[in-house]
Amino acid sequence: MNLGDWISQPVNWVFTLLALASAYSGVRVVTSQNVIRAALFLVGALASSAGLFLLLSAEFVALTLVLVYIGAVIVLFLFGIMITRAPLGRDVALDHKRRAPAAITSIILFAVLSWASIRAFAGREVTGVGDATDTRLLGEALLGRFVVPFEVVSFLLLAALIGGITLARKDLSPAEEEAREAT
Amino acid sequence: MLVNQFLILAALLFSLGVYGLLVRRNAVMVLLAVELMLNAVNINLIAFESLLQTELAVGQVFSIFVITVAAAEVGIGLAIILMIFRNRSSANVDDFNLMRL
Amino acid sequence: MGFEIDYLAIAPELILVATIVMVLVLDFVLPRRAKYFTAIASVLGVTFAALPLLILAVDGGSREMFDGSYTVDTFALVLKGLFIVAGYLVLLMSVSYIEGDRYYQGEYYFLILCSILGSLVMASSRDLIVLFIGLELTTAPLFMLAGWRKGDMKSNEASLKYYILGVLSTALMLFGMSLVFGLTGEVSFDGIREGIGDAAAGDASTALGLAVLLIIVGFGFKVSAVPFHFWAPDTYEGAPTPVTAYLSVNSKAAGFVGMLILMYLALPGASNYWAPALWIMAAASMTIGNLAALRQQNIVRLLAYSSIAQAGFMLVPFAAAAVSGTDLSEAFSATVVYLVIYSIMNLGAFAVVIAGARKTGTGDIDGWAGLGSYDARLGVLAAVFFFSLAGIPPLAGWFAKFVMFRSVMIAGGVSTVALAVIAAVNSVIAFYYYARVVKSIWLDGAPATALGDRADTPAGSLRLALIIAGVLTVLVGIYPTLASVFGDASRVLAAG
Repeated sequence: MNLGDWISQPVNWVFTLLALASAYSGVRVVTSQNVIRAALFLVGALASSAGLFLLLSAEFVALTLVLVYIGAVIVLFLFGIMITRAPLGRDVALDHKRRAPAAITSIILFAVLSWASIRAFAGREVTGVGDATDTRLLGEALLGRFVVPFEVVSFLLLAALIGGITLARKDLSPAEEEAREAT
Repeated sequence: MLVNQFLILAALLFSLGVYGLLVRRNAVMVLLAVELMLNAVNINLIAFESLLQTELAVGQVFSIFVITVAAAEVGIGLAIILMIFRNRSSANVDDFNLMRL
Repeated sequence: MGFEIDYLAIAPELILVATIVMVLVLDFVLPRRAKYFTAIASVLGVTFAALPLLILAVDGGSREMFDGSYTVDTFALVLKGLFIVAGYLVLLMSVSYIEGDRYYQGEYYFLILCSILGSLVMASSRDLIVLFIGLELTTAPLFMLAGWRKGDMKSNEASLKYYILGVLSTALMLFGMSLVFGLTGEVSFDGIREGIGDAAAGDASTALGLAVLLIIVGFGFKVSAVPFHFWAPDTYEGAPTPVTAYLSVNSKAAGFVGMLILMYLALPGASNYWAPALWIMAAASMTIGNLAALRQQNIVRLLAYSSIAQAGFMLVPFAAAAVSGTDLSEAFSATVVYLVIYSIMNLGAFAVVIAGARKTGTGDIDGWAGLGSYDARLGVLAAVFFFSLAGIPPLAGWFAKFVMFRSVMIAGGVSTVALAVIAAVNSVIAFYYYARVVKSIWLDGAPATALGDRADTPAGSLRLALIIAGVLTVLVGIYPTLASVFGDASRVLAAG
């Protein structure tokens, strides 16, 4: 497929917009000197990914991403940031001094990863919008072939819940505990 | 749409996550970078699913599991950070000497 | 579309699930003073979970469920048995340690049991998704358990470090897995193995190589192999000692098992990528782990570096066979034998550390001087476990080293012999620091001022753990066939 054909598909314009938004947000997540801003830029990156998932006809995953990530995880992050009173304003001490080696490492990683995928998947096209994945199919897969991981992951969530509460709660002294139990 | 345009975007987000992981000192910021990497994994999975059209939509199922696990881990991570904050009013990874051999 | 569920095959998991729920309910209804019942319930539950394993082992055969993504064969049974026995020992070691107000007993046992459940699931996984979820359930509770001494800064540090590197390794591994899925269109190991041939040949070879490397790096963090080991010593030192024992045995074994079944069952076609990586990891882990262990003054840090070095030894058979291109089944059985023996003797060493720390009141090796003079039994046990780790006959460790070297000799080839030489040199170095602990216990005089309670007797559960580990270590050393049975059983996987 040559460049002219690629540009003539409107869906690719949408992709370009979303990809730019995603990339920009991604850059800001790792460079922003403000924790809250970084968390909010992660919302941007995730929301544009959700848009990409819609382009790729994965509606259910897109909505899960919005609900679980943007709705719950980011809120959790913001709570975490505010409760721990992480530096809210501009804070230069958020980064190490050694940025250059890190930047070089990640640029090399990016180059290698993209080169590998260009070699492996050159010219292959994805099925785009309009061919929505049946959500029923996902449900049947989750409760059929993948029922073991589906049930097991519930224990992971339970462990995270209970362990998280235990770690994060403020310890009462034994006497206070006794008093609370007596009531 | 080519599958590569999605894969390269995922590679970009993944590399950005690695960069963030390497330069950030604050534990919350490190976590944000890891979330970026996991999001790259999801883009990969969904793009591959759209390319391969597997019988059970395995790629989408996989990405749902990734999202679930990531959510659980964020919960764990913030609990740990909160516990540490109670003890020392700082959430910087560096105060803990992470690379000591 | 329906799936038949073989309830006998998943009975160990179901019993464990029931135990987990029971522990939670007990923790909720019991008054504070009676919380130790959660410990009893956990120990009993784990014991019962082992019974169906015996029935299944006698019955034999391979039971597959869900398109083969969950398989209970003799290989899985051997590993499940290992995880359950090791988990059982850790629970016994925990009882006296965790008792007391500040440790949230119910939640502690709940998390340990969840982690054991994860490792059981992982032993049966024949599918990327099941493997991933099992591995996460194995490690995620440990992020929190490492920080269980909430007020202790070192424990906090242990928890945060382990968590960040754990999440990072998950992200790397997942990216690799997503590429594998993209290249083959499959998540089941069988499907990947069939699909990988085309991918390895053509333009996709770079992507496949990267995917394999990312997965190896991810697992490298989980098993704390050099150069991905730097979290381990601090985490081991900071975490509560029973949790450290669990980390160094169960979670490490789970990482190994995951890596080996994935490489062997799904990615044999990509062995030209992972074999050299494993070779380097094996050589580096043995050498750097041992050299660092020489310098340690703290006994837990010493065991941490020793477990890094032991991970290197465990990688040797597989790396050697894969590099030289010989049949992997011998390497598989050698690794399983090593893993089983290592688990038992290392848990024994940690049980000694727990008992000894109460008596000496310190974790410094010098502080342990003369332990043998005021507690001969513990001194003897310490000598048994540390000499066994060093690989001295007639203790179990020699047989582990023996099968390791034997499988290397079977493999043959220049790079293999080089690896064997590195392993041999390292065995000698390792002897030095293990012997140093024993020397301090038996040959040095006890310090005049006792920091701990020298008259302290270990709690009954801890004594039971010491006895079980000690008896097994001696018995396997004298009758090595006991362990090679496990190795032979695991060959079924290789054959099928």
